[in-house]
Amino acid sequence: MMRALPFAFGLLLLILWEAVVRLNDVPPYIMPGPLAILIALKDNAPDLLAGLAVTLEVTFAALILAVVTGVLIAVLLASSPAAERTFFPYAVFLQVTPIVTVAPFIIIWVSNIFAVLLILAWMAAIFPIISNTLLGLKSVDGNLRALFRLYGANRWQTLIRLSLPACLPYFLGGLRISGGLALIGTVVAEMVAGTSGTRSGLAGRLLEASYRLELATAMACFALLSASGLAIYALMQMLSRRLLRHWHESARLEN
Amino acid sequence: MTAGVTLRGVGKTFAAGIEAVAPTDLTIAPGSFVSLVGPSGCGKSTLLRMIAGLAAPTIGTVERTDDAVGFVFQSPTLMPWATALANCALPLRLAGNADDARATEALKRVGLGGFESVYPHALSGGMQMRVSIARAIVTAPRLLLMDEPFAALDEITRFRLNDDLLALWQQNRWTVVFVTHSIREAVFLSERVVVLAPRPGRIVADVKIDLPSIRAPAMRLSHAFTDQCARVNAALSAGEDAA
Repeated sequence: MMRALPFAFGLLLLILWEAVVRLNDVPPYIMPGPLAILIALKDNAPDLLAGLAVTLEVTFAALILAVVTGVLIAVLLASSPAAERTFFPYAVFLQVTPIVTVAPFIIIWVSNIFAVLLILAWMAAIFPIISNTLLGLKSVDGNLRALFRLYGANRWQTLIRLSLPACLPYFLGGLRISGGLALIGTVVAEMVAGTSGTRSGLAGRLLEASYRLELATAMACFALLSASGLAIYALMQMLSRRLLRHWHESARLEN
Repeated sequence: MTAGVTLRGVGKTFAAGIEAVAPTDLTIAPGSFVSLVGPSGCGKSTLLRMIAGLAAPTIGTVERTDDAVGFVFQSPTLMPWATALANCALPLRLAGNADDARATEALKRVGLGGFESVYPHALSGGMQMRVSIARAIVTAPRLLLMDEPFAALDEITRFRLNDDLLALWQQNRWTVVFVTHSIREAVFLSERVVVLAPRPGRIVADVKIDLPSIRAPAMRLSHAFTDQCARVNAALSAGEDAA
């Protein structure tokens, strides 16, 4: 019953929306109703799904790259206070810089459009991975550290058997945020880079459709992107629960 | 084979200039059960960590006749992502030994046979502490260092763990250095109780416990036991008055 509530609310909004559009005879190039959007989605399905595939390809490539580099950077920063002092401000710099403002430079320097999108989405996604993993690495129980020292564990053993597992819940918290950011980064990058043609992502098609005043198609793109964002979040949530279900409070309370 | 410990003028001053432990001499005979007792802040945990090599003394030297040590912390200090068996086997695995038979055996010895695949959160506080003890003895060390291991447990569980620890000690005759703030626990377990006083941490009395070597649970109610507690208590009070 409680689970159905958000869906019921959404359905109510859609019905209201359709009613307002129909009763006031709003032209579709100003505001199409949900049914018109659905029809546009169905009519352009192959084209839109191809665009979605391109966008998701960049999104996941950027996310994987952000995970690998972010964890590596966090491990390096955690290895010495001097390293953290020196480099962490630049990670913050990366985070607070709006990627839109960096895009023109990247586009000039890098010719491969996939690489451009990848770099921009990676920039958008990496910070939560770095900062959360770093926090986790620094929160390892002091007595467990002492125990590893007592048994002569080397740095590698301590990292693999203690630090990385201990920071997993923190890392996964960062991953949930980064998943969404990777998609947002990709979409923004696609819009700024002005990709077009058959190899363009969904954001490019959204822009094209809106230039032609095909608002229903544009909104269908929008709906697909939102749904993708939700799906990515759900995927990360599921991953998080699977990995933590045996031991972490966050996963156990939800069971 | 059994490990003794000798402290020569061992002291610890923290960076802020606070003297945690004044230069201390202490000799612990191989195979003996010695408790360090004192109020909080008397440096007993610091002393134990220096014996373990987890903290470096500012002055003095610590000598151990054997390198292998088992250490039990006040909290169970288990890895929550690992099963009881994996936690227990950690010291072996860190040494490159992938055979878990000894870990299974150690769990059996602390009464946790059959709990190998259980995660720590599913165990009670007392059982978590048993895993912690199993991990400390899995490498068959001759020296066991325990830092208020049962302080957080209820009295019933603490008594049972005390009895079981004594039984294990009778079988194995490790050298045990046991830190506690409970006089009764120290007297019940030990052959010898070293009393410390704070500011700075120092030894104020060294009491040999005059009780039969086999300590039955019923002994906790005997007059002889109460008398020994009174002796330690008197030493503790004298130390505090002197401070």
